[in-house]
Amino acid sequence: MNIFKKLNIISLLILVPLFLNMGCEKFLDEKSNQKLAVPKTLEDFQALLDNTLNINQSGPSEGEISSDDYYLSDADWDNLGYGTDKNIYNWGDKIILSDKPECGWTSGYRTIYYCNTILEGLKKIDPGTGQSQQFNDVKGQAFYNRANAFFDMAIVWCKAYDEQSSSTDLGLPLHLTSDFNVKLKRANLKQTYQQIVDDLKIAIGLLPNNPISKWRSSRAASYGLLARVYLSMRDYENAYLNADSCLQIHKTLMDYSTLNSTSNTPIALNNVEVIFNRNMQSTDPISVLTAKISDDLYKSYADDDLRKIIFYRLRPDGAFRFKGSYRQGSSLFSGVSTNEVYLIRAECLARNGRIEEGMADLNYLLVNRWKKQNGRTTFIDLKTDSQAEALNSILEHRRKELVMRGLRWMDIKRLNKEGANISLKRTINGQTYRLPANDHRFVLPIPEDVIRLSGMQQNPL
Amino acid sequence: MKLALFHIILLFCGVQAFGQKIITGKIITSESKQPLPGATIKSIPGNTKSLAKQDGIFNISVDPRDSILEVSCIGYLRTRVYISSSALPFVISMKAEEKNLKEVIISSGYQQLPKERATGSFTAIGNKRFNEQVSTDILSRLPAIANGLIADNSTTAGEGKLMIRGLSTINGPKAPLIVLDNFPYEGNIDNINPNDVESITLLKDAAASSIWGARAGNGVIVITTKKGAFNKPLSIGFNINTTLKTKPNLGYLRQMSSSDFIDVEEMLYKNKFYESRINNSNKPPLTPVVELLIKHNGDITNPDYRKNTALLRTFDVRRAYHKYMYQVGLNQQYALNLDGGSQKHNWIASAGYDRNSSILNEKYQRFNLRFGHTYQPLKDLRITTDIYYTLNSSISGRPGYDNIKSAAYDLYPYARFADDSGNPLTIAQKRQSYIESLEGGKLLDWNYYPLLDYKHSQNTTSTTDILFNTGINYTLFKGLNADLKYQYERQQSTGKNHRDKDSYFSRNLVNTYTQINPSTGEVIYRVPKGGILDLSNHLLLAHNLRGQLNFNRVWNKHEVHLIGGTEFRGARSTGNNYRMYGYNADILAIGQVDYTNQYPEYISKELSYIPENQNLEDALSRFVSVYANGSYTYNDKYIISASARRDASNLFGLNTNDKWNLLWSVGGSWDISKESFYKSNLIPYLRLRTTYGFSGNIDPKMSAVSTIRFLKAPANNPGLPYAQFDNYSNPDLRWETSGMLNFGLDFRFASNRLVGSIEYYRKNGDHLFGNAMMDETYGVGQTLTKNVARIKGSGIDIELSSINIKQKRFSWATDFNFNYNKDEVVDYLMDTKNSGNFISAGSISGVKGKPIFSIFSYKWAGLDPETGDPTGYFDGKKTNDYTQLMYNSSLSDLKYSGQVLPAFSGSLGNTFSYGGLSLSLSFSYKLGHHFRRNSIDYSSLFNRGLGHSDYAARWQQPGDEHHTNIPSMIYALNTNRDTFYSGSSVLVEKADHIRMEYVMLSYSLNQNLVNKLGMKNLSIFFNASNLGIIWRANKLRLDPEYQNGNTLLPSKYFSIGLRANVN
Repeated sequence: MNIFKKLNIISLLILVPLFLNMGCEKFLDEKSNQKLAVPKTLEDFQALLDNTLNINQSGPSEGEISSDDYYLSDADWDNLGYGTDKNIYNWGDKIILSDKPECGWTSGYRTIYYCNTILEGLKKIDPGTGQSQQFNDVKGQAFYNRANAFFDMAIVWCKAYDEQSSSTDLGLPLHLTSDFNVKLKRANLKQTYQQIVDDLKIAIGLLPNNPISKWRSSRAASYGLLARVYLSMRDYENAYLNADSCLQIHKTLMDYSTLNSTSNTPIALNNVEVIFNRNMQSTDPISVLTAKISDDLYKSYADDDLRKIIFYRLRPDGAFRFKGSYRQGSSLFSGVSTNEVYLIRAECLARNGRIEEGMADLNYLLVNRWKKQNGRTTFIDLKTDSQAEALNSILEHRRKELVMRGLRWMDIKRLNKEGANISLKRTINGQTYRLPANDHRFVLPIPEDVIRLSGMQQNPL
Repeated sequence: MKLALFHIILLFCGVQAFGQKIITGKIITSESKQPLPGATIKSIPGNTKSLAKQDGIFNISVDPRDSILEVSCIGYLRTRVYISSSALPFVISMKAEEKNLKEVIISSGYQQLPKERATGSFTAIGNKRFNEQVSTDILSRLPAIANGLIADNSTTAGEGKLMIRGLSTINGPKAPLIVLDNFPYEGNIDNINPNDVESITLLKDAAASSIWGARAGNGVIVITTKKGAFNKPLSIGFNINTTLKTKPNLGYLRQMSSSDFIDVEEMLYKNKFYESRINNSNKPPLTPVVELLIKHNGDITNPDYRKNTALLRTFDVRRAYHKYMYQVGLNQQYALNLDGGSQKHNWIASAGYDRNSSILNEKYQRFNLRFGHTYQPLKDLRITTDIYYTLNSSISGRPGYDNIKSAAYDLYPYARFADDSGNPLTIAQKRQSYIESLEGGKLLDWNYYPLLDYKHSQNTTSTTDILFNTGINYTLFKGLNADLKYQYERQQSTGKNHRDKDSYFSRNLVNTYTQINPSTGEVIYRVPKGGILDLSNHLLLAHNLRGQLNFNRVWNKHEVHLIGGTEFRGARSTGNNYRMYGYNADILAIGQVDYTNQYPEYISKELSYIPENQNLEDALSRFVSVYANGSYTYNDKYIISASARRDASNLFGLNTNDKWNLLWSVGGSWDISKESFYKSNLIPYLRLRTTYGFSGNIDPKMSAVSTIRFLKAPANNPGLPYAQFDNYSNPDLRWETSGMLNFGLDFRFASNRLVGSIEYYRKNGDHLFGNAMMDETYGVGQTLTKNVARIKGSGIDIELSSINIKQKRFSWATDFNFNYNKDEVVDYLMDTKNSGNFISAGSISGVKGKPIFSIFSYKWAGLDPETGDPTGYFDGKKTNDYTQLMYNSSLSDLKYSGQVLPAFSGSLGNTFSYGGLSLSLSFSYKLGHHFRRNSIDYSSLFNRGLGHSDYAARWQQPGDEHHTNIPSMIYALNTNRDTFYSGSSVLVEKADHIRMEYVMLSYSLNQNLVNKLGMKNLSIFFNASNLGIIWRANKLRLDPEYQNGNTLLPSKYFSIGLRANVN
């Protein structure tokens, strides 16, 4: 046999498997057990996003626990089950997961894992024409919820945004894949906010105006949240633009005089003001049955202000408790709603010198909050030409309107950047704890366990 | 493509023409110096062949490349001479071969090579040794003879599974990979007829097994089947044997005596323990004694009561089992082998038939057919095909001890299956008095008769397996050839579990879902009357494809052997099962049931769904692999070897498949005895070898992909079902690795008096599956199973064969195996700190620095002299505060007794021959480990009716604590007290023991006589196996491997058989 013939035969013998080898990616793509429900379709991803427990109902509560809308009695403080909660309440230096397993960090990053997995899965789907609307919707929701989770955590675990120092300030670890074997480290604050803004801008381009459920994010929600993000960055121009865009899609306010103020849950779930449903993790210190509303805050409401009776109820011990959550019931709303967006627009207008327009937004909100007599409001429009007075009014009502929403912590931090000089004080069992304005403890410690396992940089303690 | 390039480079090696020359020589025997005709002379590497003529003279044409002549002749040791080194003309003297020491050929599944050329650790089991035992299957013969292998009867998941060189994993599969000839056998290895087996090779170290890559971490067992040979006349062999299996000794079971049991029942009745059961609306059964107590209102002095119970006290259910359920089992085996070959063809055919009936009259039949053929149309081309066909079936038999229950309760020890005249008796499954009170006619008989029921309940499984493989081997140049091999396997099993209309199972379900309208008396059967048929089907399809290049070349003092190839494997197993109600086998009628609505159960009136039995399965594994293996020998003294393999699979994560994670090995050996300075006449062969390398282990249960589970829509978000993650995608999911360092010393004493090897190895298990603490920033929770755990181990294997006496007619030879193995957890995260979780023996204790399976127990402080309470130590003080002892103590408070798996194990075989008579005796031993025996557990006794003979020796009065450690019985159960006692150090025993494995007596008939009968040889044999323990360290006469509760000792096997060969 001639040598080349032999060569041919032998090449054939060897090359047959080799050529087959080249198509082996597909060959190995087959799942190892048909029973494994591998998320692949848009329906699968939507079902993961509809897991409201993980997506909507586990926002961080650490900021609210640290804030001054409420306080605890000594007995209630003593009875807190977790040392970590006590530590957050009096601005201590420890958050320990092995003490309190669930915290805003764990739930936030769990949400982010869901979103990352979905975004990776979507890359493998052809956004065909027939389903492009659903495809965009799912994709937009994943971007929205990732941004929301990052932003909520940034408020708790990062400094207030400052354009000057943002590229050196510590941000969050920006984990953008589902791979849990990669090494994580913290980005700077500029990158962190950039990520949040970018995600939300993508979401705005993808999401529908009217979702089928308020548990799902929408274009209005993305504008609203982005307005909040810019507000926290003190970028008032962009905050204004986004708040305005939001209100163009969704602008309804509730007339509080139509609500049943005697009810323990006077405000309905998914009411007309709600744009996106989200709430903080339920946790002992801010449980509505435990937390007592600050006396100063309660006393600051005018008697004709319906929020005084709709938001609060007298406790047997003479203090007041909160019952005005937009989540109806004990969960504390931290989602997006029109009342907040009006207040953002009003503040930005006032800060940008458009005082009259700003005051108009505030008055429009307050007329819906005021008592009516014989069908006519008792509210008299607030009027001023002074930017400072306008801003003061708007911020005063921002505080009174957005109680126990997780926003107070963000507000204190950003307003102190503007020179508001808000400092906090707690008295526990006779001992006084103070948190001066701009103190480093406005940035909470990252859970110790996370630092230990990841080696990432801890905030100054 | 790199590999392809490599192949092509290889193809061009050595393409040159050479001039030929003729060498003439003579072959003689070394002893008598007589010419040796018929010897084959082969040139190496040229591979020209010649035959020595009648006067021993040969002529062979060699070319200048040829450097060696190799001479072989049956009955003589293969001899090699260098062409250049010998003076011409050649006189080559051949040494006669020692009969049982012919060259050992080992097979790795990719290549066959002489053991003396291998650097890795292999155990070879030849045909003769393998056939010293009689069995239906192959694997059960190995533990008694194979070096470095044990059957794990100690750990909870052990179940007698084979283990090579101890553990290589914590949570992963522990079974070695089983290879039949060239490919992994994916079906049930019990399909294979042991009479088709020629030899077995164990690949023990990484260098040996790493060629099998990610599935070889637990070692590899390569089964090599018999092959045909060219130019061989037809040969017919047959083997017939019959085995008797003895009835088990039920007396070994530590069952509580009937009298003690009745005493306890009386005590419990007096304390109103049975009230809740009596008043239970589900009407659970009560034992006959409790029924009597109710009847006589607890008056145990009542003469009628006394008479009845006095009789019951004399019964023992073990006698009933012995009489009615167990029998002498019988195995029959018939095997026929034929083979032959012409110049271009050779073939082998075999047929086997096995017919077994077990001691419980379970039937097993297996029918095997095999046909193998090799065709060599051209000198350079060889085509082989092999087809195996197996058909087997098994049918269930009678219930064994512990398989008959009284509903949820264990059977009381005084139960009877038949009355004195042999009429079947019922064992209550419901309250007997309730059943008797039910209105007749509408419900079916609700009694359960153990003696009748098994006849109405038959579980049959049958399996067909077809294995087909084919291969082409083509030689391109001398020294270089290519293989293309393909194997297809299809194993189909069908199961049929038929409980006919008279079975209790069917009657009970029909009755349970019968509805009777109280006013009209109308009856609705929600489960139709008739039998219940459960059917199942499983199909396994496996494909293997391999392309391989083999390169062998010898020149001057150099010798190179290389193989390299690529392969694909895919195995899909699918299955389904389903149930039919109202089945009538006579007319194949089936009924309908409604699975979608709940119906009231007849007795309890609670609503429930009619049980369904439907399931679908579909699992798939796929592999793509590339491998290479090579060795280089210099001067016949020094060998270096290396191998590498890369696997990708759909079981791994993406990153793992993307990276070139190689499993590799290197090795070397040095034949000291070939050195000029080595002059020992006592030990003419001495070789040192060492290897280091890695192999892998796969857990098909682990999935690298994300999986989700759908849940119902929550109330506040109606209409939107949602999903959560069940498994998180892990792109780094990979195989576990086992790294091994091996040192070996092979030696042979003069005249082969003592041949053997001593090996030392160290093992490191890395990337093992275990819990990992997760940084929660990843969003996947606090812990996750990942490739994070680590273990280490070390061991010694000694294998010795000696010829102690060798006379003309009498000889005595010994085979001795000694294995030492120790493992230790290096890194493993237990979820818990609670000491109670480290207690159980036989499951993973996972304590760093201790063996994977360790025995920890509560420190025993004796019985309380006042109360007979078991006591332990808490904070250094004796206490019976069990809550403290169990929940507030930590690992450091526990006593560590040792490991669960044997540290030392091995076997000793002696063969005595006198003329045609041969006697082999084999013993095995396992030493240096512990077990936890069971004892009386009052919670189980009261609640489940499960007693223990230790009860009789319990503490009863002060002073008893001096001669017993068995706690007193207290009423008002304290479960913690029982848990403490059963986990205490007083129940830990040494597990060391020596077992007699088998005796083989065979007689080969006188050759002349046999030849007259027209046969080549004929032998008859007698074999006894499972002969039981001959020594044990524990004083309680317990067999450490069969002591758990209701485990019976295995039956002894006695076989008689005949083997013959006809030319």
